[in-house]
Amino acid sequence: MRDLKHLIYFENLLDNADNELVEKAKADGKLAIGYTCFHIPEVLLNVGNCFSVRLRAPRTGSIDIATYYMSNYTCEFARALTERGIEGGYNFLDGLAGVDACSMMNRFYEHFELLKMNEKPHFFVTHTDMPYKVVDYTVRQYVKQMRIRLLDVMEKSYGVDTSDAAIRKAVAEHNEVCRIISEIGEMRKADNPVITGYEFHILNLVTYCCPKYLILPYLRETLEELKSREPDEKSKFRARVAVVGSEIDDPSLTKMIEDAGALVVSDRYCFGSTPGREVIELNDDEPALEQICRHYMEVSECARYISDEKVAQRRATADRLAREFKADGIIYEQMKYCDFWGFERALVSHVMSEEMGWPVLSIDRLYNNRGSGQLRTRFQAFVESLEIKRIQKNGGVK
Amino acid sequence: MGKIQYPNPKFFRAKTKMNWKAQGENLKEVGGIIVDMLKETDWKAFGKKQLDNIKDNGRRLAREYKTVKAMNKDELLDLIKNGEKHLGYLYRKGAMATVRREWKGLESTAIDFVEWAKMWGLLLGTFSKDLVPALNTTFWYRWMISYMCCVGFMDKNTLGQRGKALKMSHLMIYDIFRYVAENLVLMAKADKKNGNSDELNKKIVLVDEMTMAQIMAGFPDLLGIPYQLMPVFLVSEIDQLTCIPYIDAVESYGLPADTCPVPSSECGALVVDALPHMGSCFISSSMPCDGSVMASSYMSRRFPDLPTFHLTFPVRYEYEETVSDAAEDIKACIKFIEEKTGAKWSWDAYFTAMKRFNEETKYELEKWEVNKTAYPQIIGPCYELFRKWNYEMDGGMDPRVPKTCQKVNKLMLEAYENREEAWRGKMKYRGIVWSCPAHYYANFSNWLANCWGVDILVEMESLNFTKPMETEDKEKALMDLARLYERMVMRRHTNGGYHNVVDELWRQCEAWNVDIIIMYQNVACKNMATLQGILDEQCRDKGYHMIWIEHDLMDPRTVSRKDMRAKVNEYMKTVMHAEPVDPSLLEFDDESCM
Repeated sequence: MRDLKHLIYFENLLDNADNELVEKAKADGKLAIGYTCFHIPEVLLNVGNCFSVRLRAPRTGSIDIATYYMSNYTCEFARALTERGIEGGYNFLDGLAGVDACSMMNRFYEHFELLKMNEKPHFFVTHTDMPYKVVDYTVRQYVKQMRIRLLDVMEKSYGVDTSDAAIRKAVAEHNEVCRIISEIGEMRKADNPVITGYEFHILNLVTYCCPKYLILPYLRETLEELKSREPDEKSKFRARVAVVGSEIDDPSLTKMIEDAGALVVSDRYCFGSTPGREVIELNDDEPALEQICRHYMEVSECARYISDEKVAQRRATADRLAREFKADGIIYEQMKYCDFWGFERALVSHVMSEEMGWPVLSIDRLYNNRGSGQLRTRFQAFVESLEIKRIQKNGGVK
Repeated sequence: MGKIQYPNPKFFRAKTKMNWKAQGENLKEVGGIIVDMLKETDWKAFGKKQLDNIKDNGRRLAREYKTVKAMNKDELLDLIKNGEKHLGYLYRKGAMATVRREWKGLESTAIDFVEWAKMWGLLLGTFSKDLVPALNTTFWYRWMISYMCCVGFMDKNTLGQRGKALKMSHLMIYDIFRYVAENLVLMAKADKKNGNSDELNKKIVLVDEMTMAQIMAGFPDLLGIPYQLMPVFLVSEIDQLTCIPYIDAVESYGLPADTCPVPSSECGALVVDALPHMGSCFISSSMPCDGSVMASSYMSRRFPDLPTFHLTFPVRYEYEETVSDAAEDIKACIKFIEEKTGAKWSWDAYFTAMKRFNEETKYELEKWEVNKTAYPQIIGPCYELFRKWNYEMDGGMDPRVPKTCQKVNKLMLEAYENREEAWRGKMKYRGIVWSCPAHYYANFSNWLANCWGVDILVEMESLNFTKPMETEDKEKALMDLARLYERMVMRRHTNGGYHNVVDELWRQCEAWNVDIIIMYQNVACKNMATLQGILDEQCRDKGYHMIWIEHDLMDPRTVSRKDMRAKVNEYMKTVMHAEPVDPSLLEFDDESCM
């Protein structure tokens, strides 16, 4: 296939948290609000003159100082962010929207404060509380937290307009991003798609890490480009897989899977498009904030949700996506030391395989994986096993 | 009003419906295993080991005889009166128990034997309430065998204690054992594989072991059982090797080895079917940490037909706006229990229990006051266990417990007035324990005191909610219950922000006038691990002695008891330049010892 016009530009944008578009927005007088977790509705950070930046620590090398503070057997994502914060990599931020959803990431926010990583006069780190299940009173609880611990803090710190009208405006812009990404994502359903999993990963990731109004023109253009893009006559991939699990903000992991011969057709993980790039439908009867909170709780696939219906939802979503996107198998992954996904992955990889009949590869991985020969071998073996299964299904080798 | 009987005698009288054919088949299987074991045993090696033990006992007796013979009159009198002082000689490499019981001096040995007899009386009396299913449990679950060593556990926890300190320890551990024995009997009756009592199962609400039991105080006609407490949590304190098969099973299933051993062991117990099949419903919880949250999905997978309520509380519990959210969840939980069991919540019963709980808390605060002085009285593993059990599991429900508290406090005040020492002649340093202790070394504080004279005045896990619970206004009572739950053991410190565990430590060090901090480092506890650097830095600034002691909570293979002791030995020798109180305890082997 011909290279996408903006792919290298997008890749470069992902090389730094403080990328070119973030800098441009800052120059436009906008306020950068960092966040790390899906439980903070991204759209609420895009109200008024603010824009959201989902924090990553690209090109992470040594995390020794963070390891001194947080020990060596804790989430590498949280440690990489702490290290980058200590290095001054998040000095561009004007605020950090934290959520006490997992203990290790919570400690990153706390170190941000304790070690005074950003000393701007109005800089804030806010800690919100997040329910474990979705019932009427927990939705109310979530709404209350987002109002008191997030929007009010933004308003108090910088005078940000957090009115219903401002929220609706942010939703409109957010929805356009979601529509484009969803439309591009749907293209992966084709037998021979015009986009690879890696390209989609890059595209989707920039939408989390760049100001929406600045990335939108590029997205629109890329969508048009893809509509007329010709796929390779014969796909180089030998299998199709859905990836399910915890946070992945490292496109090289997707690249490694695809280099092993498996096209990644579905991205059901944190920083992926499911959930995250669903359009938020608002009615005029209820305040936008309530509708947004309910939306985020309902679409969330976070393993932290403890209730039976959410556990069932996670399994059903993985199964549905794998079927809709014609995957041959599922890769369940977790960031090493993640308690939520550690328990979830171990159990669900059995459920998906034994009850739902999916070939499953179950892995735990580091934050940065590009050099992992062990993972590469496991992906290759999985692809081969999928091929063998296909051959056997088609009646064996004639 | 007649005498309140607790637990409800009806529970013990509930009819069982044992499937004798299934019991027979199980016995046959167990018999087969025993025969295999007998066949595979190297009898020659076994015989040699016994012979070696006999020889070793002979040598020990000769050594002890010589020691006594070499004593002058004063030393001999001291031995008779105050007991022996070299406790390390009680251990033998490879042995599962100590070589003999400790000689504590005439008075204290007499106390010990009376309490020992009482304990056996309690166990026999309780198990005889329904002996067959209770004993039959040993043929279904390997953890039940470990409970046979409970008296040894009592001995282990009271090593080195004398006089009133010993009496207090016995009083407290007696209540815990009574609770355990009663619950074991009732679990055996209810277990569908064993007693299979439908009548009892309708009355049983299973509560996640990490959830406090107080919610059951409003249901006096029901029996709340902390489900995994007996098969996993508590037994791992008695027998350090109990949880190893569970951990191995769940790790083979795919669970990463870096998760907390508490939920891992619980899930492993489900994988190997080591939990009784029982109860009308289950209350799972999000407490105290991320790992515990996830264990409930394993429970649902193993028992898909058991109705479950997920009791979840805000993590940022100090935000006042979240208290009403937590109270809402409690209300929903009460409604769930009512629907599943047909029982009705009783405010009278709840308030009565909370009044008792308040009384117990008052006694607890008195203990703290005494321990903060220069003459601390009530320290050691029995007290540490009692505090946690009383706060989490009893929660004011058992009317017999305040009497124990009363007796203990009377003894404590007498001892304080006499300026007695909790560890006679051994008190050198004032210590505090922070973070969670290793289950497989429940009597570590006992070793610290006997070996180095480090007296653990208080543990982090004891310092929880002490505000009196509301006993009149129903809405306020729910809010208080929410606050209590949010401040359960561990959660009170590890949730809600770093200040609850970091700043709080310095506050407590000052309040208790502490010299040494025993900083446990459960290698799988991410909540604590992520504060390692900050704790180190601030400790250096404040000038406390902090000894980091790694452990793996329920898995002694990762960090053995010996390794834990070595950390202290090293620090005391190289940093403190201290001399041990009992050098025989510096090096000994207890890898297989319960």
